[in-house]
Amino acid sequence: MDSSSSSPEFDYLFKLLMIGDSGVGKSSLLLSFTSDTFEDLSPTIGVDFKVKFVNIGGKKLKLAIWDTAGQERFRTLTSSYYRGAQGIVMVYDVTRRDTFTNLSEIWAKEIDLYSTNQDCIKLLVGNKVDKESDRVVTKKEGINFAREYGCLFIECSAKTRVNVQQCFEELVLKVLDTPSLLAEGSKGVKKNIFNEKRPQPDASTSSCC
Amino acid sequence: MASTSKVDLSGEDDDEQLERFDDFTLASSWERFISDIEAVCRQWLADGPNNLLEKGAVKLDFSQKLYKVKMELKYAMKSYNMEYYFETSSGGKIADGDSTLHDLQLCFGVKDFLVIAPQSASGVVLDSPEASKLLSAVAIALTNCSSLWPAFVPVHDPSRKAYIGIQNMGTVFTRRFEADRIGSQVPVRLMHLEGLYELFVSKFAYSTLDFAMHLYKVHFTMTSTYRTIHHDDDDDLQSLGTEKEEYGDNHGSETRSRSQWDDDCPWSEWYSAEDPVKGLELTATWSEKTVESSLEMAELENASPHEAEKWMILPFLSPNLSEGNRVGFASQLRLLVGALNMSFDAQFMEDFVSVENPGSDNLKSSMIVPPPTVLDRVFKDLFHEGSQVAAFAKGEHKISRAIKGAPFGSLFAQFCLHALWVGTCNIRAIAVLWIEFIREVRWCWEESQPLPKIQANGSIDLSTCLINQKLQMLAICIEKKCEMNEDFQDCVGSNEHTYDHMEEDSPVGDKTTSNQKHGDEFDGIQDSPLTEDRLHGSGTTTSRPSMKHGDIQSTDLKSSDHNRRGSAGAVGSTKLLKSYQSMHAPFTQDAPLMTEDMHEERLQAVEAFGNSFSFSAQLEKDILSSDMSAFKAANPDAVFEDFIRWHSPGDWENDDNKESGPSKSPVTKGLKDDWPPHGRLSQRMSEQGNLWRKIWNDTPALPVYEQKPLLDPLREGEKILHYLETLRPHQLLEQMVCTTFRVSADTLNQTNFGGLKQMITKMEQLYRTMASTLKPLQTNHVSGNSETIEDLRRLCVIFEHVEKLLTLASSLHRTFLQAPRLSETIFTDYYNFYLPRMGTGSPGSPEVDEKEFDVKYQVMTRERQSVSNMFSPPTANQSWRKVLSMGNLLNGHEPIVREIIFSVRDSLRNNHYAAHNPRGFQREIETYRMYICGTSNDLRVALSVTSDSQGQPKHCLEMTFRGNSRVSCVISVSSSCISINMYLSEFAMEAGISSQFPPPSPAMAYEMHGIHGYHQRTGFMTSRVVSHAVEGGTKSATFSSIPL
Repeated sequence: MDSSSSSPEFDYLFKLLMIGDSGVGKSSLLLSFTSDTFEDLSPTIGVDFKVKFVNIGGKKLKLAIWDTAGQERFRTLTSSYYRGAQGIVMVYDVTRRDTFTNLSEIWAKEIDLYSTNQDCIKLLVGNKVDKESDRVVTKKEGINFAREYGCLFIECSAKTRVNVQQCFEELVLKVLDTPSLLAEGSKGVKKNIFNEKRPQPDASTSSCC
Repeated sequence: MASTSKVDLSGEDDDEQLERFDDFTLASSWERFISDIEAVCRQWLADGPNNLLEKGAVKLDFSQKLYKVKMELKYAMKSYNMEYYFETSSGGKIADGDSTLHDLQLCFGVKDFLVIAPQSASGVVLDSPEASKLLSAVAIALTNCSSLWPAFVPVHDPSRKAYIGIQNMGTVFTRRFEADRIGSQVPVRLMHLEGLYELFVSKFAYSTLDFAMHLYKVHFTMTSTYRTIHHDDDDDLQSLGTEKEEYGDNHGSETRSRSQWDDDCPWSEWYSAEDPVKGLELTATWSEKTVESSLEMAELENASPHEAEKWMILPFLSPNLSEGNRVGFASQLRLLVGALNMSFDAQFMEDFVSVENPGSDNLKSSMIVPPPTVLDRVFKDLFHEGSQVAAFAKGEHKISRAIKGAPFGSLFAQFCLHALWVGTCNIRAIAVLWIEFIREVRWCWEESQPLPKIQANGSIDLSTCLINQKLQMLAICIEKKCEMNEDFQDCVGSNEHTYDHMEEDSPVGDKTTSNQKHGDEFDGIQDSPLTEDRLHGSGTTTSRPSMKHGDIQSTDLKSSDHNRRGSAGAVGSTKLLKSYQSMHAPFTQDAPLMTEDMHEERLQAVEAFGNSFSFSAQLEKDILSSDMSAFKAANPDAVFEDFIRWHSPGDWENDDNKESGPSKSPVTKGLKDDWPPHGRLSQRMSEQGNLWRKIWNDTPALPVYEQKPLLDPLREGEKILHYLETLRPHQLLEQMVCTTFRVSADTLNQTNFGGLKQMITKMEQLYRTMASTLKPLQTNHVSGNSETIEDLRRLCVIFEHVEKLLTLASSLHRTFLQAPRLSETIFTDYYNFYLPRMGTGSPGSPEVDEKEFDVKYQVMTRERQSVSNMFSPPTANQSWRKVLSMGNLLNGHEPIVREIIFSVRDSLRNNHYAAHNPRGFQREIETYRMYICGTSNDLRVALSVTSDSQGQPKHCLEMTFRGNSRVSCVISVSSSCISINMYLSEFAMEAGISSQFPPPSPAMAYEMHGIHGYHQRTGFMTSRVVSHAVEGGTKSATFSSIPL
């Protein structure tokens, strides 16, 4: 955490996680959010990670966003990243129905299995709305799924950056509204303070035993 | 009634009886005393219960509805207390056997009453004339104000609880009361119902002749109380004490020879709790019977309590439930929190043990270290017994996982529980245990012995505490280390597949031959296409790495098959694009396991590198390149597109059939006609500089057994041991505290308490409270502020409450196994009783009044058997101690107390006076009532006698003597007796009794034998006229006192 000296101060640290089938545009969405650009990215290998500082709801926030690979092969690997996430973004491609159905058949189950945070906020995102002509999953279906699963819902396009900022903003506002998640986020602040005071661990301790 | 005015001595109603001489002067001090009493009584009467309550009537402790008011009076230099007891509920009869009744209510069947007693130490009138005088004074006063209250005066020694009393029951009846008690040497006759019956009958039958001749219809009710024999508490306490001294050997076999009530309770592995249900008292009430002879009584004495009409039980709960320090998880947890508090003082666990450490003098003296025998036992249990824990999740509550500790039954959890119960759970003892624990773990590592009690599912549960994660990982490292060793053993001869030779580039031909042997073991897998399994998300089974096993000799003997290495079987019928050969899935390496601190480290590393995409994308590059290597080895002719079709099917765009999966499309499409399939890589995969393709190009073809393992078990294992060996004391203690709270609760949670609702809710609340309180300890940063420690102490208090309730719930459940309604009701009541007493442990919590929990419960008929079973037949030893002398035994238990009420009622039909007043029979009067309470050596008898003058007093005298003292004398005659109520003034007492009687009828001469008088001089309530003389119109009677 030495790098934190160069980083601006923040009030809360939240961990967010992005899941969904391969190729639905998770990494593009993240890139669109963090650096306002769009590229057709190489598929994520395993897991990727971005940090973004934002001001939302009058609070300075540090968002650590984990972007996972959708491939099955990486699924066991990514399971450990669910731990401690305050928000989970479930992404599907509105032009590919299987990416939508897999959310309920695979990804929702993964959340139940691996999430350690009972209160964690879930957000359903339908990506690639720029390809309106290819759309096969209607907005209504998305809303119904979100209602059934108890999560937030938004449609956006990483390419045109429609709704991208709103998507993360809504999620974070909801996290800020949830006291237990807020408490966890603020621990991150404390933690930094303690870490600095703490004696250097383990390096010099091999003398015993 | 016509006679009203005649007996009414108060003079209130005699407007029309002008001939009477009324004297209201108050001459003597006694008259003034009467007047004082009268004034007080009038006031009380006027006030009524409601006003009296407002004026500060005191509620009696034992009763819900009985109140009393008190007044001081003075007479002849002595002070007297007059107390009026009353009930607020106006209606209702006095129910016999109600435990909340006042003694006098029980004895005499009265409701509201007066008691007058001198203000002395004993509160009892010892002098008989004084008692009579007092009673007379009260009686006169009460009559004057037309009150029907009964009045009592205590007499004799206080231990005898003797009373005399009188009650004016309206115009015609007067009731007299007398109670006494025999504290020892009860005559044999009175031990049995038969004798008691005869005693009662003797009160109104005047000779043995009567006895035989008449069949008196005696009403009889009986209540027997039984108490279970409970174990000797002294023994329990003693054994507990010695267990403590033996330093935590409290579950050693030698001290546990006696069987405890909670032997099969989940906590009994660690401690034995005091049984909160100490026993119970059963009160069996028989319905009222009419008895006509003493023979019937003998029969009744043999009756079993099962024949009784009503059963009530009073459970005795241990007083330690609501207060007192008991040994349990909570008490030990408190010690552990203390140890946590101390753990911040040192850098290493060794510091707490080492001799050189200076400032630890007070540590050493106060903190005992477990002796080697205890250590041996603990480690034998930890490492050598039942190394596989059968059901991990058995005791876990659904919220357990929210508490970051080791799961129930796991190695570290067991270690924590042992540490909790080793002696006083001090930091030194914990340090000794921990050092020994690490030594054992290292031994397992060095000797490649599997770690016991570790969940072996090949993954790391990040919701558990870090030590548990490390141990899980170490177990996996040991497993891998063993596999490596086995491989080494296997391959010493063949010089194949060993870890050491992995990097070696051996000739391909050699491999295939030997691989064919291994392939035979994999027939089963060969048949099932790998992708099928993978689609079902069970990655662990399919992608299990195999260092030991080689690849599979495919059934399909194409030319290139001999080149395949590390294949796990064909992927359906998918063919490679270029060579049209079966695509084979390779064995792949497991993703490297990481504990949460490793995750943390990576996160920090990524953060340190900032947002540079090129770096973060390579986080898992090793895995991808490992997969590619393996794929290349299994499919020597494969191209990048083939790999993508297998690994990331979404990035292969099939022109013909978009919907069908890539593994299926070739099946549906038949064979070579359409080959090669029209498809291409997705745009992102085919872009220039695609990272995947780069890696593909750089990757050599290597089956997993030749690859450098992603997880180096030797290195990781050593790192873990280093972590464990250099763990900061507070880090250890924090994790121990979390784990111990969790598994202690899990242990308790296994208790069978019959699904009592409140208990289930309480357990859930406990878990939630624990989860939130323990949160500060779970973040791997210093948490040693006093606030956290205080919170933890409070948590211990809450834990203790829940533990106590749970013990009770469990004990009640097993006590009333066949009568769940009872256990539920009792627990609910106790829960409601206890809840306000549950402080949070802070000293400022409001104190609730110290009341005992005593509630009686009615037992349903179907529940009787299970209650009766609690009265186990007494052992030879127990029955030897006591000579049984009463009847109505319950499983050989004699009642501890027997209450009997005899009564006779007079319907006034069969006597010769009835003729005079045909309407007299309409009222049935309880003429005699005897209350008997006690055992074979402690008997209390209370008699109340109502005498009436049959609606019309035959003889009523009012005489005025010299000195203006008033004497009134009422002679009432009933079928069985003549009673004379004489309220005499002092003068009369001096003068003795010599009254003018009207000439009696012949019948009355006989009756006179049975006269029950009230003789002022001797002071005895019940006397009998022994002789009388009728001379002319004058009758003189001689009284002699006949004690009961």
